[in-house]
Amino acid sequence: MKSDRSTFGLDRRSIIKAAAAASITQIASPFVITARAADEVKIGLDNPLTGVYAALGKNELIGAQLALEQINAKGGILSRKVELLVEDSTSGDAGTAVQKAGKLIERDKVNFLVGNINSALAVAMAGVSYEKGVFHVVPGGHTDPVTGANCHWNVFRVCNTTQMEANAVAGTLIKSAGKKWYYLTPDYAFGHTLQAGLEKAAAKLGGTKLGGDLTPLGTTDFSSYLIKAQAANPEVIIFLQAGDDAVNALKQAVQFGLDKKFHLAGAQQELEVLLGLPPEARIGTWVFEWYWNQPNVPHVNEFVAEVRKKSGGHVPTARTWFGYASIWTCALAAQQAKSLEPAKMAKAMQGFKLPPEVSLMPDGAFYRASQNQLIPNLYVGSAQSKGSEPEDLFKVSEVVKGIDAAGSLEDTGCKMTWPA
Amino acid sequence: MSGYGIVSSMTQLVLFNIFNGLIVGAFYALMALGLSLILNLSGVINFAHGGFLAIGGYIAYTLMPYIGFWGGLVVAPLLTAVLGLLVERVLIRRVYGRDPLYSLLLTFGLAFMFEDGTRFIWGAQSLPFQVPGWLVTPLSNQYFFLTGYRLFMVLVVAIAVMGLFLILGRTRLGIRIRAGTLDLETVSVLGVNVRVLRNMNFGLGVYLAGLAGVLAVGQLGLQPTIGASLIMPSFVAIIVGGLGSLPGTLLGGLLIGVASGITTVFFPSATEAVIYVMMAAVLLVRPRGLLGEEGRF
Repeated sequence: MKSDRSTFGLDRRSIIKAAAAASITQIASPFVITARAADEVKIGLDNPLTGVYAALGKNELIGAQLALEQINAKGGILSRKVELLVEDSTSGDAGTAVQKAGKLIERDKVNFLVGNINSALAVAMAGVSYEKGVFHVVPGGHTDPVTGANCHWNVFRVCNTTQMEANAVAGTLIKSAGKKWYYLTPDYAFGHTLQAGLEKAAAKLGGTKLGGDLTPLGTTDFSSYLIKAQAANPEVIIFLQAGDDAVNALKQAVQFGLDKKFHLAGAQQELEVLLGLPPEARIGTWVFEWYWNQPNVPHVNEFVAEVRKKSGGHVPTARTWFGYASIWTCALAAQQAKSLEPAKMAKAMQGFKLPPEVSLMPDGAFYRASQNQLIPNLYVGSAQSKGSEPEDLFKVSEVVKGIDAAGSLEDTGCKMTWPA
Repeated sequence: MSGYGIVSSMTQLVLFNIFNGLIVGAFYALMALGLSLILNLSGVINFAHGGFLAIGGYIAYTLMPYIGFWGGLVVAPLLTAVLGLLVERVLIRRVYGRDPLYSLLLTFGLAFMFEDGTRFIWGAQSLPFQVPGWLVTPLSNQYFFLTGYRLFMVLVVAIAVMGLFLILGRTRLGIRIRAGTLDLETVSVLGVNVRVLRNMNFGLGVYLAGLAGVLAVGQLGLQPTIGASLIMPSFVAIIVGGLGSLPGTLLGGLLIGVASGITTVFFPSATEAVIYVMMAAVLLVRPRGLLGEEGRF
């Protein structure tokens, strides 16, 4: 035994010292935590940092961090410093996302919950926040029910609904590309609602569906679907894939020369996808939810410059803006309500218009009362292989007013009940 | 459209998809062969194979500005193989002879480390990997899915497979690998250095993963999750084709490619599920796989 101890350089004294140190940390840490809880306002971000949505999650995080710095520089929330607690929700595991949301609410006692990019995870998290009565902002999960059939008084959403994106782009597509469409749709909540939205919007304008296929999420080889789409001979092939699925689908479609025979288009498109494509595949008509190159809109240039400092020179994407606007929404809600009580904050945000330095769009953006959905501008245009600089990959042709794309409140199916 | 027209266009669609499925299947086979090689000799189910594939792609992307696509195609798989040799030497070697669970957990952990490592080094954002323009155009208007690049992929797979079978059949290393696959103990008793043999064999398997990686990013986005999304069909190819048989693995890869191609025509959302259904059917009817040896695993 003696030789064992000497091998590891341990003696009685150091063991006692270590034990004493350990016991001090045990006793001391609860005091530290209580002191913090009283002083700081906490925002819990439960969003993907790994998996297929990692790139999007990282950009939302950069936006969130920038907002946090600005809020703290202006004196915090209700004169208290703000802390951002970040958890990796994973990209597709609702169980993990819910468990992390529970941890943030129960153990960390966050005042605000923010997340998720994945629509299904956003819905699952909203269930938890509603049950616990926590003010919750969904930055980038698009499926309609979040602020539609499953809407809750405490859940606000920054990104658009899939129906809004569909309504914004349908008219332009029919005018510029044709009425006969073939859909390639990812087989999960986001894709289903986006296709349903487009079919509805197109039908009103005389558009027809020639056919369509559901592609499993995470499909790498799209060749067999592209063969079918070509056989249907439509005027437009609609790609509703997001993220890496969209990169794979478009890259292959262009390699097959389909862009020379048909118009390739879709609804939602993101800068992250266009950056992942080789130049020849940066094509098609799409909707961007926010774009960085808006030289005439106040405060946008400053925002772009700030983000470049934090991201190694990269421009902000719509995701960066989602994260930014989400954290600012939390601060503004508390400021409006002069309270951190969730119900008071939620009431104060009904119909609230974001200040121009947060909305960063020509017509501004507001939370529609009784739905908690942000109604912003939408940017319809086309992808371009080359712009004013390497990351200028989208040419905006029309800025649509959100309220024109949002439809009526009744159409959304949201019936909100408030706590007594 | 006449009834005849419908039938013929449907037949054409099915034929197109069978042909296209062979192209896709050839790629699955390339990945699966590397996996199979390692499994057969060392009994290690290499879950990190997809990670090596991703690294092959990323190395090619990084080297491309200096040595171009063709240079990357040659150098990147070799560098990936060197990494494979190191990983085997430092980590994998320690779990030989233990319960398969050890190697499974080890390579599973490695897969996560590779994915996060690539994300750390190259970022989470998909990178635009570009192959020479003349390769990525359809060869004919009618058979538009047959691009120069896809034909080239099949050619590379064919060369790699022939090369692999030549190495295994004609070289001293290959003969030892085959002998070791059958009875490692006897090979060892005969004076062959089994450690070196397993190391070289692992490197060879990882080389194939690196090659598959460079080929894959020519038509897919280069992102950290690319390995994870491509690895499962390779496992299925091995099981369908038969454990222990390299020709079986090749056949398995081609079969699942064709099966998912045909499924797209009739039931598109099941294209992924169909390969697992095939695997289940093979396991029920012929558990050793189509060309597998009985009682080997």
